Amino acid sequence: MAVSDFAVAAAPRRFSLLGNLAIQRLLLLLGLLVLWEIYARIAGDTGMIAGPSGILRAMGPKIFANPKVVAAIELTLFELAVAYGLSVVFGVVIGVAIGMTDFGRRCFNPIVVLLYSVPQVVLLPLIVLVFGIGPLSKIAFGFSHGIFPVIVSTITGMRTVNPTFLHGARAMGASRFQTIRHVIFPNMVPAVFAGFRLAMTLTLLGVLLAELYVSISGIGYFTQVFAETFDPSPLFALMTVLTVMAVALNELVRLVEARFTRWKN
Amino acid sequence: MPMSATQQRSQGQQFNRGRGAGDAVMDGKSKLAADAPVAIAVEHVTQRFDGRRPGQQVLALDDVSLEIRAGEFLCLLGPSGCGKSTLLNIIGGLNRQTSGTVRIGDTVVRGPTPSQVAFVFQESTLFPWYTVLENFKVSSDFQRSQASTWNDRAMSALRSVGMENFANHYPNQLSIGMKQRINLARGIFLDTPIILMDEPFAALDEQTRMVLGEDLSVLLARTGKTIVFVTHSLAEAVFLADRIVVMTARPGRIKATLTVEEPHPRSPDFMLAPRFSEIRNELFAILRDEIRQTVAAMREARDEGVVDG
Ligand SMILES: Nc1ncnc2c1ncn2[C@@H]1O[C@H](COP(=O)(O)OP(=O)(O)OP(=O)(O)O)[C@@H](O)[C@H]1O
Ligand SMILES: [Mg+2]
Repeated sequence: MAVSDFAVAAAPRRFSLLGNLAIQRLLLLLGLLVLWEIYARIAGDTGMIAGPSGILRAMGPKIFANPKVVAAIELTLFELAVAYGLSVVFGVVIGVAIGMTDFGRRCFNPIVVLLYSVPQVVLLPLIVLVFGIGPLSKIAFGFSHGIFPVIVSTITGMRTVNPTFLHGARAMGASRFQTIRHVIFPNMVPAVFAGFRLAMTLTLLGVLLAELYVSISGIGYFTQVFAETFDPSPLFALMTVLTVMAVALNELVRLVEARFTRWKN
Repeated sequence: MPMSATQQRSQGQQFNRGRGAGDAVMDGKSKLAADAPVAIAVEHVTQRFDGRRPGQQVLALDDVSLEIRAGEFLCLLGPSGCGKSTLLNIIGGLNRQTSGTVRIGDTVVRGPTPSQVAFVFQESTLFPWYTVLENFKVSSDFQRSQASTWNDRAMSALRSVGMENFANHYPNQLSIGMKQRINLARGIFLDTPIILMDEPFAALDEQTRMVLGEDLSVLLARTGKTIVFVTHSLAEAVFLADRIVVMTARPGRIKATLTVEEPHPRSPDFMLAPRFSEIRNELFAILRDEIRQTVAAMREARDEGVVDG
């Protein structure tokens, strides 16, 4: 370890292909894929596991050529978008309302933290009972997963403002509204975005869990169908689509975050 | 007057980066003190703070009275914890004193008066999420200043501290010294007759302090503002002040007042003058006992803490 560190440091970085972090990662990924392919071919049960090449072959005909599967992906994306949008909007509004006053923080913060720690899967049957087996229950379950990290991080962001800035704003004559607009809100952006990113992951989890539990459409439904018919390659292909989706959405949130926190460098 | 030569030289050095035209230099500013109107009147101000435990009250200021004349540069000097910042905050209306009155002009201070008083603190209060220029704009909004010329004024204030090329930088992209320069420029930009400065150069290295001190002397001579300046540096106090007020160890009272007869802007040569070291030594003699006392009190508090724990 120490030796390779030294080698990387000693070689001028841009001339050393192996020293480039992106290339190292890519090589690692390729290595894992090759191992996976080898395992799938010589030892794997064809009813349980598919190799990368099989997944790639299934991607076209069994996923994107099947209008039902495409519709399912679209539906899941739609549910995710609605659930996430609601989480963000309500999470920030509720977080600000609670974080605004000491009283609010003292009274409601423990309740939020308590609700946040409840393993929500136990509520899933109830949610399905209330919202039915359609998209509504998926949105509700995604929302109930996504909103808590947003609330918690919003409260944290409001609380962690540097007193020097508040003092300075007051000295310059800032009104309460101006203090919130120019000090408290910008200050909480980084914390809130950390919550947004976590919420994206958790909302997706909530939506998929609800789809797996009971549904007649959506990605969750098809993963179940493929798994139960011992057809691993489209199952894995669908999982790949899901992963790409999750990563892309996370990156999207990160991009928006970078836009709003340029000042942090 | 022997100083006029140095005065001229210092102007020549400084003004080529300042805005130059239009600002008259006030001659013999220290002569002003006696007949200028009172800008800030502190009358029998006492400040108590509640301690962590009931009954553990801290008497920070004990019956302090002080008159500061318009255009005067007053330095507050005293051992750590003697209530200098507290006094400044009371003058600026950020703290409510336990008893006594503070007047700015004819008005009794009851809260922040941003149209009259600007603060410059030890730590930069530039918001990191705004660029330098945006920070100036927001301050002027806070102040409810109607002036539409804020951009020009901001740029000229930045020019006067040599930071005009950093108007669109974020504070995190600047060094502490640069930030503090800009903080100073903002204090001037706010265009108030009074500036209260709480150890504005404390976080800077000795050399930067000296250069900024010189700049400040020039800037203020030009604008004729009233300044109350807290510092721990004796040299800084002598170099900048028209009058130096030395406070006692806590509870803070006024122990002595020294006058420095020397027109602004002052040149670095003043620091080499025998009079400079005389005043400096006098100050040190006055302060030494107070600092001893503070250190002893701190030891005592520490020992009590040991007994408590
Ligand atoms: N908000 C407060 N609550 C309780 N005690 C306070 C408060 N502000 C200041 N004090 C106490 O009042 C005393 C004076 O504090 P102050 O900050 O004015 O001192 P200072 O002269 O500015 O010291 P330094 O030179 O270290 O900045 C200190 O003992 C401090 O502990
Ligand atoms: Mg202080």
